[in-house]
Amino acid sequence: MKQSSIVIDPVTRIEGHSKITLHLNEDGRVEEARFHVTQFRGFEKLCEGRPFYEMPSLMARICGICPVSHLIASAKACDQLLAVRIPPTADKLRRIFGLAQVTQSHALSLFHLSSPDLLLGMDADPATSNIFGVAEKNPELALDGIRLRQFGQRIIERLGGKRIHPAWIVPGGVSEPLTEANRDAILFALPDALAIAERTLEWFKSTTERFREEISVFGNFPTLFMGIVKKDNGLTFYDGNLRIVDASGHIVAQQLDPADYESYIGEKVEPWSYLKSSYYKPKGFPDGIYRVGPLARLNVADRCGTPRADQELAEFHELQRTAVLSSFHYHHARLIEILYCIERLEQLLNDPDILSKHVRAVARPNALEGVGAAEAPRGTLFHHYKIDEQGLIRWVNLIIATGQNNLAMNRSVLQVAKHYVHGNRLTPGMLNRVEAVIRCYDPCLSCSTHAFGEMALRVQLLSPDGEVLDEVARP
Amino acid sequence: MAGVGVAPRLAALGGTGEGAPSPHRPLHDKIHTMPRALIIAYGNPLRSDDGVAWRAADELEDKIVGAGVEILRTHQLAPELAETVSRFEAVIFIDAAAAGESNGHPGELRCAQVGLSEGPVRFSHQLSPASVIALARQLYAASPRAYAVTLTGECFDHGEALSPVVAAALPALVTRIEALIEQLVSPATVPPDSDKH
Repeated sequence: MKQSSIVIDPVTRIEGHSKITLHLNEDGRVEEARFHVTQFRGFEKLCEGRPFYEMPSLMARICGICPVSHLIASAKACDQLLAVRIPPTADKLRRIFGLAQVTQSHALSLFHLSSPDLLLGMDADPATSNIFGVAEKNPELALDGIRLRQFGQRIIERLGGKRIHPAWIVPGGVSEPLTEANRDAILFALPDALAIAERTLEWFKSTTERFREEISVFGNFPTLFMGIVKKDNGLTFYDGNLRIVDASGHIVAQQLDPADYESYIGEKVEPWSYLKSSYYKPKGFPDGIYRVGPLARLNVADRCGTPRADQELAEFHELQRTAVLSSFHYHHARLIEILYCIERLEQLLNDPDILSKHVRAVARPNALEGVGAAEAPRGTLFHHYKIDEQGLIRWVNLIIATGQNNLAMNRSVLQVAKHYVHGNRLTPGMLNRVEAVIRCYDPCLSCSTHAFGEMALRVQLLSPDGEVLDEVARP
Repeated sequence: MAGVGVAPRLAALGGTGEGAPSPHRPLHDKIHTMPRALIIAYGNPLRSDDGVAWRAADELEDKIVGAGVEILRTHQLAPELAETVSRFEAVIFIDAAAAGESNGHPGELRCAQVGLSEGPVRFSHQLSPASVIALARQLYAASPRAYAVTLTGECFDHGEALSPVVAAALPALVTRIEALIEQLVSPATVPPDSDKH
C-alpha cells in the first residue's frame, strides 16, 4: 500500500534534538510512528585509552542537565575498579548531590518544558505555549519553577563548586567534605523548597481532570516497569538492586544485581535512530518493552521512606489497581519525587556524621572491570568499564534511561497519533499532543552540545501521490 | 505583579553562576559609585570558537578589579537567569555567533542593544538575551539596560583552542566590553544602540 508521511522536525521543548515521523496509509490513518534521535555522540568510543580516574569528569560532559547522575554512576563503576568501600559520609554526600540533581532536573522538565501544556492546554497557540505564556497566566507558577530549579542548582554549586559539570564526586568518595556553613544554608532553604513542591503538587492534581482524554491515550498500554529499590523495596536514587513489575503490578523479578545487567537487558539498534532500544531479555524483543524513570520507580517501590512522599505515593498507587500505566502520570510521579528529594535531603543533612572530614578512600586499581548503576532523573543509568593493567580504559558501555524508554516512547507516539491525527487536516494542537507525549518521558538526548543555527518546525501532510494536503510551520 | 523575594530562605542559599563565583571588581574608581553591571559570558568552551566568551571573561576578570561588576560564565541562557539579571542595572551578554548573512564574517565584532520583543520561544531552557530580559521584566519588574556583544566564529568543532581569526579578534572584544562597561556605568554617557567592527 502506498503511504504518505508527516515529519515533525525538530521535536520542541525536550532536552536535545529529534524528529518524529508519522506514516499514513491511503485512508489517511496513522499506521506507523517513529521517534528519531538525530544526534550522534560516541562517548563510549572516545573514552577508550583514557585513564580510568578521568571517567567521572568525562562522563559528566555527556549532559548539561544531569551531569551529576553520570558522575555518580561513573564514580560507582570506578569504586569497583578500586575495589574499595567508600566512607559512609561520602556515600551520604553523594546521595545529597544526587537528590539536588533530581530536584533541579525534574523542576526543569515540569515547570519549563511541560507546564505550558498543563497550564495553557494542549491546543494553545504554539507562539505563546512557553514559559512566557506561563508567566503571563500564572506568574507564581513560573517563579516557583525558577526558584525550585535554583534550589537544586545552588546545592550542586555549593557542594561541587559549579552548577554544571562539577567534578566533586571522585572514585573512592568525594573530593571535599561538607562545610557547616553550606549544610546550614541548605537546611535554611529547605522549607521554601518544600512549600513549592507541596503547592505545585496540589495544583497539578487539580488540573488532571482536564486531561482525561490525554491520560487515556498518552502511552497508556501494558509494559514492564524497572527501577532500583532499597533492600526494603523503598524508593532510592543511589544504590540498591533492580526490581521489575508487570502491567498488573506483579513482581516479575527483584533483587537483580545491576552488575549483571547484560544477563537481563538487551539492546537493539534500529537503522532510523542513533538511540538504541533496550528490552528485558527473558521476554525478547519487542515484547520485553519496559519503562524506567519516575513512573516506573513509583510503580516498583513499596514506599518512599519520608512522611509526605509516602502519603502521596499511597494516593498515586490508588490511581489504578494495577501498575499506573499512562505515561501522562510521569508528571505526577515527578512531583512526588521532588517532594521525596527535599524530605530526604533534610534527613541526610541532619545526620550526625554528615560533616565528617573522612570522605574519600584512596587505592590503586584492584579490578579490571566495574559496573556503576544509579537512578538518574529519567531512569536507571548504567556505566560499565573495562581497564587494562595500567588503568587505561579499554571498553565502555553506557545504558541511559532514554534508551530504555525508547520502545515505549515510540509506541506512545503511535498511540497518540492514531487517536488525534486523522485524514488530511493538521492542527497545531494535534501535533503538540504528539510532542507532549514525548515530553512526559522527559527524554534527555544531549543538552551538553551547544547548538547553534535555526531549527524551524515544518510539517507537511502528503497524499500517497505526493500532493501537499496540509502544512503547519512554526517560525 | 508576582511578589519578588517571597522565598527569602531560597534566596539565602545564594549562588551566582557556574564556576567559582567571581569577586565584585570595579573597572576603575568611577565604578564604586556607579550601578552594578553583570557580564554574562555564554557558550561551550569545548567547542572551539564557541568558547570565546569564556576566554573574554578570563581576560576581563584580570582587568576588572574591585566591586561593581560581576562576571558569570554559563553554557546557555536559561530562565533562572531572569532572576539573576533582575538584580543588576546593566547586563552585557557575550556570545560567539555563527558566520552568515546576519552575523557577518569570522572575526566580526558586533554590539547591539537588547530589545524586549522577539519571535516565539520554543526551547525554554535555552533562551536568547532578549528573552532573559523580557522574563526579568515580566516576573521581577526589572529592566536592566542590556547589550549583546557577539564575535563571529569560524570553527565550532570539538576543541579548546580558538581559530586564528577569532583569537586575533579577542583583544578587540575585551576592549569593547571594557568600553561598554565604562559607558554603562557613566551617567553622562549613553551607549549607542548598536555598532559593528
